[in-house]
Amino acid sequence: MNVTDSRSATHVWLVSLVASLVLTACGNDTSPTSADSVAKPSRAEREGLKVYRHSMDGAPSSIDPVQARNVYSNTVILNAYDTLYAFKYLARPYEVKANLAVDMPDISDDGLVYRIKIKQGVYFVDDPAFEGGTGRELTAEDFVYSLKRQFDPSQRPAGAWLWQGHIVGLDEWKSDGSDYSQEIEGLKALDRYTIQITLIKPYPQLVFTLAQGYAAIVPREAVEKYGREMGSHAVGSGPFKVVSYDSASIVFEKNKKFRQEPVDIYFEGYNEATQKETGVEAINGRSPPFVDRLEIHFINQNPARWSAFTKGNETQFLLVPNEQVDTVFSSKNPITPNPEYASKYHMGWYQEAGLVFMTFNMSFPTIGYNDDPEQERKNKALRCAMIKAFDWERRNESFYFNLGRVFPGIIPPVTPEFDPDLSTDSITRDLDGARKLLADNGWTPENLPTLSYGSQAGVSQRLFFEQFRGFMVKIGYPTKKLKLKQYATFGDYSKAMANSELELVFKGWGLDFPDAQNTLQLFYGPNASPGSNDANYKNPEYDRLFQEASVMQPSPERTALYRRMNEMAIADCIGIMSLSRTRIMMWHKDVIAVPDREIVGGFFMKYVDIDKSLLPAGSKGK
Amino acid sequence: MEILQFALRKLIGGIPLILGVTFISFLLMVYFGPDQTFELLGKNPTADEIAEVRHQLGYDKSFVVRYGEFLKQLVTMDFGLSDSTGEPVSSMLGRTIPVSIALVTPGFILGNLLGVLLALVAAYHRSGWIDKAIMGFAVVGMSVSFLIVIIAFQILLSSSFGLNLFPVRGWNVNSVGDYVMYVTVPTLASVFVALGYNTRFYRAVLVEEMTRDHVRTARAFGISPMKLFYKHILKNALIPIITRVMFSIPLVVVSGSLLIESYFGIPGVGKITFDAITSGDQPVLKAVVSLTAILFVLTLLITDILYRAVDPRVSLK
Repeated sequence: MNVTDSRSATHVWLVSLVASLVLTACGNDTSPTSADSVAKPSRAEREGLKVYRHSMDGAPSSIDPVQARNVYSNTVILNAYDTLYAFKYLARPYEVKANLAVDMPDISDDGLVYRIKIKQGVYFVDDPAFEGGTGRELTAEDFVYSLKRQFDPSQRPAGAWLWQGHIVGLDEWKSDGSDYSQEIEGLKALDRYTIQITLIKPYPQLVFTLAQGYAAIVPREAVEKYGREMGSHAVGSGPFKVVSYDSASIVFEKNKKFRQEPVDIYFEGYNEATQKETGVEAINGRSPPFVDRLEIHFINQNPARWSAFTKGNETQFLLVPNEQVDTVFSSKNPITPNPEYASKYHMGWYQEAGLVFMTFNMSFPTIGYNDDPEQERKNKALRCAMIKAFDWERRNESFYFNLGRVFPGIIPPVTPEFDPDLSTDSITRDLDGARKLLADNGWTPENLPTLSYGSQAGVSQRLFFEQFRGFMVKIGYPTKKLKLKQYATFGDYSKAMANSELELVFKGWGLDFPDAQNTLQLFYGPNASPGSNDANYKNPEYDRLFQEASVMQPSPERTALYRRMNEMAIADCIGIMSLSRTRIMMWHKDVIAVPDREIVGGFFMKYVDIDKSLLPAGSKGK
Repeated sequence: MEILQFALRKLIGGIPLILGVTFISFLLMVYFGPDQTFELLGKNPTADEIAEVRHQLGYDKSFVVRYGEFLKQLVTMDFGLSDSTGEPVSSMLGRTIPVSIALVTPGFILGNLLGVLLALVAAYHRSGWIDKAIMGFAVVGMSVSFLIVIIAFQILLSSSFGLNLFPVRGWNVNSVGDYVMYVTVPTLASVFVALGYNTRFYRAVLVEEMTRDHVRTARAFGISPMKLFYKHILKNALIPIITRVMFSIPLVVVSGSLLIESYFGIPGVGKITFDAITSGDQPVLKAVVSLTAILFVLTLLITDILYRAVDPRVSLK
């Protein structure tokens, strides 16, 4: 009897196993979001298809343009959808260019009315959402509809902040109930191919915003058919069409309907001195996309990302994990690639379009503003002393391999408004000066306030805190008075910042566009918590300058205002600022590309080409 | 008929258990779980926008109303749409559970079979060097972090720094050959770890059985070791073995193997559960918790029936 039973049990397991396999296999045929519809790499390549396998260190939470909230979502969205404008593939500093738009916008003399002609004959990919399943032509109305979605609460949008208070009638349209049949004065399709945007006041960053994933164009039929499932089902007119998407990867195939536009690498900003090595000249005069299949693998774990890249045929791009920096470079000053890796892979590095910094929450009377002017003066001295005690050099060495760039203030080096001649006092450690400031202002270990330092849960974050605390101990700050508050998720940490629960906030900021306004707004009074000014800095003069600059086109005058604001933030000691990290990338020799995950972001993938003959002899990926 | 009546009684008796488990889980999710509001909001949100999102997520409803809605979802088995991707939770589970089952089944079977076999050998050679060697191996399997085991197996078997025999990661299964390629390394890693725990547990059970009077008597009658082990030891040890195996199943089926799926890039249910925990995607969490509870009740039922099958003295009443 027992023998029979154990046989039965074995059969049950076998049946389960087979059933699972069958279910999995069935999923291939029926589910567009099934992971296993990822074609076998070897098969795809045997069929002569060009396949580019990219890796990212995180996964998008949604692929709907209304939720293009992070670099991962944005990268995916920009490959599936079209935007009116894009960033030039090769130009550094970054430059914007027309994408779906025929040209740069025609702007009225007062800077308020933008007319944008869009290209004709651009089609959405085929999808059951369309009549007959065939993608129809994209029109100006689609853009109007897509932007309206950002102001329709039922769509759970995250991008409205880019246009809030800027476009005539758009905010009112939302407060009136987001009725799509209602016209908006400042957002119109004048005809099938002409868009007109009317601004409340000049908004020089408008064109930048139209190059964001948030401004990607979706067809109304798809939104009506799929509703919130747009978060996992893309119907765009971008260079690629999504064929499968899950928590581990997304697979695109070339959008065969994508418009034929030969690349002019010189227009794209080609720099022979720095980019010739990449072989990017090979794409000149040809129409992208060049690969038949694009796979983006979401690999959070550094060892797995490294192994998949070095294996040769699993992924072809890698953002080098911290623990491998010493392996791939034989020297970091000056940066010298390890010859072994340089012979096998392309290597590139650049300063991020962003920064990491720490702010003091000025809404706490213990460290920031105080009704008592004397206490407020003392608080400022305390903040300035803590800034002096912070050792940026050590921070850079410990966590950024000495490859980060430390700079004073909040205007990062990647922006044109960066001031290389600004005094570095605020980023130079001065322990004696810090101790003197504390003593002169009556601060003693006994009366120093207890401060909470917030971060997302994680080992690195704890190490950041411990190092910070170590720096502060050197000026007599009692260990027990600096407390770490960790949050399980980024959402919970964001909530704590939005609710102004923390005295000290360490954060990173990635630029949305190459304009220092994007970082200066982090200290703009009206953006105080729950906005991104989690320092809750309120300086009427700063706010006045911000408003004055916000309507100015790029100019030396505007740059001067930006720099003044930056100096004010430094002088008021509102944060320990800042460092821009260096991103190190490697990609296989058969990949012709100039990768970038910053401002250009996902735009570069349509220009990626594969040429197996470029692989070094004996390469495993060949 | 007796089994059917027993099953019905058990199923009805399981309802309070399901309600209790789901109530506690829901309570924890609502009051201590991650808040997804700020995951969904854009930069510089206004108070109104925060309120809008909270309203859409249902956070502004009373606990009783939210729990009532959850019970309705539980009864209809319709958990709505994922708050992150907007995909129906049922289709997410339908897509990921088969992947997880296919992924963990070989490791689960091998881990238990080899565990019993090694335990038998160790128990037979109790206190000898073979026993010590097997137990030493078990302790190693239990002591080494699963994460380290995964990375080590990945490097040894999959990477260009090792044997480079299998894919580092992914789940590109279109044939049995593909399946073997993708499942081998995760299986070996999970067997390596599970074997330690299983062997120790099964050895303890078997040793206890071996010291029973009837075993000593059988041995005195000169019964062969194989017969002794199979008929008098293993059969009598089946109840704890069945208990251990059966109670692992719900976790294997629904929760998947989070670390394995994350490190090997396998889109199973463990991965979406982890993502749901870190992002606060409550519809997915509610579905996983509920399914696990239901499976536990079913497992209890099947385990009781199996007890009866292996030991007729066990009464279904």
